[in-house]
Amino acid sequence: MPDFTEPQFDHPPRSAVQAVGAILWPSFFAACVATMVFFAFVDPIALRDQTFPDLPMSRAMGYSVGFFMFWLATAASSLFTWILLRPPSRFNRALPPK
Amino acid sequence: MSKKIPLDIVDDAGNSYYVSERKIYAREISGRFQTLRKIAVWVLLGMFYAFPWLEWGGRQSVLFDLPARKFYVFGLTFWPQDFIFLAMLLIMAGLTLFFVTALAGRLWCGYACPQTVWTEIFMWIENAIEGDRGRRMKLDKMPWNREKILRKGGKHLAWALFALWTGFTFVGFFTPIRDLFARAPFVSAGWQWGAWETFWVFFYALATWGFAGFLREQVCKYMCPYARFQSAMFDRNTLIIAYDPMRGEPRGPRKRGLGSVLERGRGLLDKVTAYDYVFRASGNAVAADAAAQAHGITGMAEFNPVREPLPKFAPEELGDCIDCTICVQVCPTGIDIRNGLQYECIACGACIDACDEVMDKVGYPRGLIRYSTQNAIDNRATHVVRPRVIVYGLLLAGLFAAWAWGVTHRAPLIVEAMRDRNALYRIAEGGEVENGYTLRVVNKDDTARTLEVTVDAGNGIRLAQGPFEVKAAPEEVLTLPVILRGPADSKGAVPVRFTVAAADGSVSKQVESKFFGPM
Repeated sequence: MPDFTEPQFDHPPRSAVQAVGAILWPSFFAACVATMVFFAFVDPIALRDQTFPDLPMSRAMGYSVGFFMFWLATAASSLFTWILLRPPSRFNRALPPK
Repeated sequence: MSKKIPLDIVDDAGNSYYVSERKIYAREISGRFQTLRKIAVWVLLGMFYAFPWLEWGGRQSVLFDLPARKFYVFGLTFWPQDFIFLAMLLIMAGLTLFFVTALAGRLWCGYACPQTVWTEIFMWIENAIEGDRGRRMKLDKMPWNREKILRKGGKHLAWALFALWTGFTFVGFFTPIRDLFARAPFVSAGWQWGAWETFWVFFYALATWGFAGFLREQVCKYMCPYARFQSAMFDRNTLIIAYDPMRGEPRGPRKRGLGSVLERGRGLLDKVTAYDYVFRASGNAVAADAAAQAHGITGMAEFNPVREPLPKFAPEELGDCIDCTICVQVCPTGIDIRNGLQYECIACGACIDACDEVMDKVGYPRGLIRYSTQNAIDNRATHVVRPRVIVYGLLLAGLFAAWAWGVTHRAPLIVEAMRDRNALYRIAEGGEVENGYTLRVVNKDDTARTLEVTVDAGNGIRLAQGPFEVKAAPEEVLTLPVILRGPADSKGAVPVRFTVAAADGSVSKQVESKFFGPM
């Protein structure tokens, strides 16, 4: 019979702290850079006037909201990378008993 | 046979971290589920390739007009303000996926996912030009000669043409497709496509060619998020493609004429033995997990399976699986379904059709591999209605009702009032106070309207020019500069309300703003 065994690549599972850190830290870094570059060209007040002119928003709030939006996006991307890099054995389990 | 075989057998490539992906030569198969898949491919791709060519109410039936910021879908027009409906539609699509997955497993992957649908077409083309599985394997091993160049070249030419047509159709959803076709190279003189049109046609074509021609099942295994989280929606009552080890094990070739387990009275094995045989035959981790569960052990931590070699079975002990491995050969993701449910399984049903064909040939009943639930395979009752199904169903129904109501009750008129930013107020001749505004009025209907603009405010504040009428063409966006004038003693902020109403009284929309005087 042909051998259909897959090569084993599995790294043992990492601790939750490591996983969370590996998701949050690079995304935080990327969000910082993105925020700096973005707001170097865009004034949050001008952006507010174009989008939600009625919102009572200061510059500081604009920078903060912008940063957290960038971080949300980059962290989501990091999370996706983490899911895709998990080896098949983390998913390939028999259905749990009732 | 007492020598122990280590569990972590790896293939020839060794246990290197850098093993290139094994090329899968899926054997072609026909049968009930492959017929269903073909129908799905024709219907879905038919929709993709035909919709942009259909006319609906004098306009392309589906057109995402990005420059005009309007989406046309079969007589419905979506404006940027309707973004919420699009978002809701996406949420509903997600919930539908959860609902269907909980009930019937990965129907999406097997029948509807663009990746599998386009891969299917590319495999048909490959099969037509390069030949069946055996021929394709031979062709790949062959040195480069005339035949190989012709066959491989022909395949890539056909793939490229199909991919380019796909890219063209894709862009045709964003640019009116008849016009795009009229300007296409070889149809018109010279290169009349714009730079971005050209880029997206070729980019989408390249993506189609790469994903459907080369990456194929690797997209499902390594790139697809759904493949990674679908198991969260699975339980023992979910329809899956399953092999019946109680009936099939122990597997093995046999002489012709041996009846099926039921005919010759061997009957079904007990669960523990059956799952144990599967694990011992393959050494697969999922099979090990299932074997542990059959033993009543949960969690891999406390279970260290030793893979005892299988004894030689007498013919009358054998189960119905003749170990022909056709189920593995037809699998587009290259797994062995007999090991149990694996995340690589896209539920295409090819192994069911293949096994049914083999069972027919050897005269055994069909269904050794079948659409079933884990409970049914393990001879327990299957419950279709379960809490998660009810929750998903209710959420979906509620959301759909809200969406349908919202879409059919959209306001045909949008009015926004923006205060002029330069000055809070100015003093006009005669000491009166003036505030400037810009009214943005969008007539979302496809009928022209005459609109009346009035203002409703206290303190003697009025429109400087008095109430006035404007004409709005179908789908026109009007920008109206408006000045409000108040008496000289106006102080602070006074709320004002603009009303834009159709002269025939069919629609009316109000918008609030503020009138400022000296503080």
